[in-house]
Amino acid sequence: MNQPVVVRAEKVKKLYRMGTVEVLALAGVDLTISRGEFVSIMGPSGCGKSTLMHILGCLDRPSEGKVLLDEVNIGGLDDNRLAAIRNRKVGFVFQTFNLLPKLNAIENVELPLIYAGTNFEARRKKAAELLEMVGLKERMFHKPSELSGGQSQRVAIARALANDPSIILADEPTGNLDSKSGEEIIYLFNELNQAGATLIIVTHDQEIASRSRRIVRLKDGLVVADEVIRP
Amino acid sequence: MNLIDPLKLAVQSLFANKLRSILTTTGVIIGVAAVITLVSMGEGAKSYVLNQVRGWGVGANSLTIHPGEIDLGQGIPELTLKPGDITALRDRVKNLEYLVPENIGRGKIKYGRKEYTPSFAMGISADYPLAFKQRPVDGRFFTRAEEQGRKRVAVIGKTAARNLFGEFSPVGEKIKINGVGLEILGVLEEKGSMLTYDMDDIVVFPSTISKAVIGTDQIWEVFLTVKNESQVKDAIDDVTRTLTGRHKKKDFHLHTQQGMIDIINNILNALTAVVSAIAAISLLVGGIGIMNIMLVSVTERTREIGIRKAIGAKNNDIFLQFVAESILITMSGAAIGVVIGTASAWLIMTLLKLDAVIAYGAAALACFVAFLVGTFFGVYPAMRAARLDPVEALRFEA
Repeated sequence: MNQPVVVRAEKVKKLYRMGTVEVLALAGVDLTISRGEFVSIMGPSGCGKSTLMHILGCLDRPSEGKVLLDEVNIGGLDDNRLAAIRNRKVGFVFQTFNLLPKLNAIENVELPLIYAGTNFEARRKKAAELLEMVGLKERMFHKPSELSGGQSQRVAIARALANDPSIILADEPTGNLDSKSGEEIIYLFNELNQAGATLIIVTHDQEIASRSRRIVRLKDGLVVADEVIRP
Repeated sequence: MNLIDPLKLAVQSLFANKLRSILTTTGVIIGVAAVITLVSMGEGAKSYVLNQVRGWGVGANSLTIHPGEIDLGQGIPELTLKPGDITALRDRVKNLEYLVPENIGRGKIKYGRKEYTPSFAMGISADYPLAFKQRPVDGRFFTRAEEQGRKRVAVIGKTAARNLFGEFSPVGEKIKINGVGLEILGVLEEKGSMLTYDMDDIVVFPSTISKAVIGTDQIWEVFLTVKNESQVKDAIDDVTRTLTGRHKKKDFHLHTQQGMIDIINNILNALTAVVSAIAAISLLVGGIGIMNIMLVSVTERTREIGIRKAIGAKNNDIFLQFVAESILITMSGAAIGVVIGTASAWLIMTLLKLDAVIAYGAAALACFVAFLVGTFFGVYPAMRAARLDPVEALRFEA
């Protein structure tokens, strides 16, 4: 297994200033993730896992250190370049789904394609394919309020896949779901991973983490354990 | 991202909050409607007054001479124009067509035992019917010969005639004005009222007998015409030279019809402008209302903005989305305002029996101003939205 590196963090520090208090959310994280990996990031709350995810996903910049995504150092990029990278190379899946409530399923999936400048026919076709793939062919024109939690999360996953990203970052993707729906989502992640997708999920649920192939544990802003559980 | 998508997004979000959208844009609706209604009414009033002025029968080839160096507007200037000036003007103004001096006074008419005092008793010249395009409909007007011969004759207006003679023809009847005996030669055709004066409540006679009849031959106004419009300028020079030569100073002033129309236009334009400017303030206030709602909307939709940014919206995309929304909401208001303004202008002018002049120019201008207002007041909220930090925006709980 000698796949190319998708994302590499080198001595990444993140310092938050809250009034006069400084909080070191990441204290020097080194992490390398290669194409086709399925990694869980675990740790107690406040350990910096969300911060790490935001930085790996180009939503935020490190205070110190380097993050290379597809060999591009994101530290030096302006807002617009970061937005373009998020659009093309990163797919986010959130705990609370974060679908736009006024748009129906297919319009939600189309959003990243709109910002990528894809024309209407092409993006409608692609969004329909993705929704079919996540098993929501019959629900394309339903609003999020008309979908169950599991269905909403599958729409969100379809949206994350819209621009064929280099990595998919999922922050507690099953946190708001019942165990059956959660199981379906993890199953879907596994399928995606088998099809070649690179996945990083942030979770505090040991069982969810055990379904991935590598577990990275964070504590107080540092990587304290990193083990491959299934090659 | 092209320009269609932000517009679509804007339409979606406006329809999602219909009541709020309508309330937000009320200021713009009222502003645009008020500007259109008021300017239209101003135009209607202008066309009414100009038609009245044209209705006096004085044409673009005419000018009037008034005593006093400048137009006092109100009050009575020293009456510096004398009968001798009229003779001199008749000789010296080139291309002169008609010349009518006006001696105005009061005259109590006696016919048998009946007495009546018309609004106007005027000494004028034989040119009057042609100069003012008001011919006698019964009998005839006095001639130049009768004028120069100081014949004691008079011509009477319809209203005065009806009051004295009822339905009988007064032609040939003998009357007394202020005790001076005159023979009625004819009745003038009806002229109607002008600025509330009944122009038919009148009796006229040769200005050569004014002194005897109304006790004065001083001239309030001289009306003169030249053969065509292009000669008015030369006539002004001739009049000025002649009268200044005779009086040794410029103690009179001239009006042309164009000058009068210009003055009326200026006054009405200024009035319309002032009133519209006041109405336009409502547009400005409306703009502030829009900014307020846009700021609320940005706050409410912080999470939406965070989501959009997370999936790749650039700051500019967010900015455009919110500016488009602001412009769209303003322009929808402007469109409703145009409909309401046009309808109310039409209604008011129909009720006032004026020509319904719809000020399309003002409508276009009001819409353009609304567009500027929507853009201007949309920019700041949109900038706030565009600058939101994506991580914090995603954390936001509505």
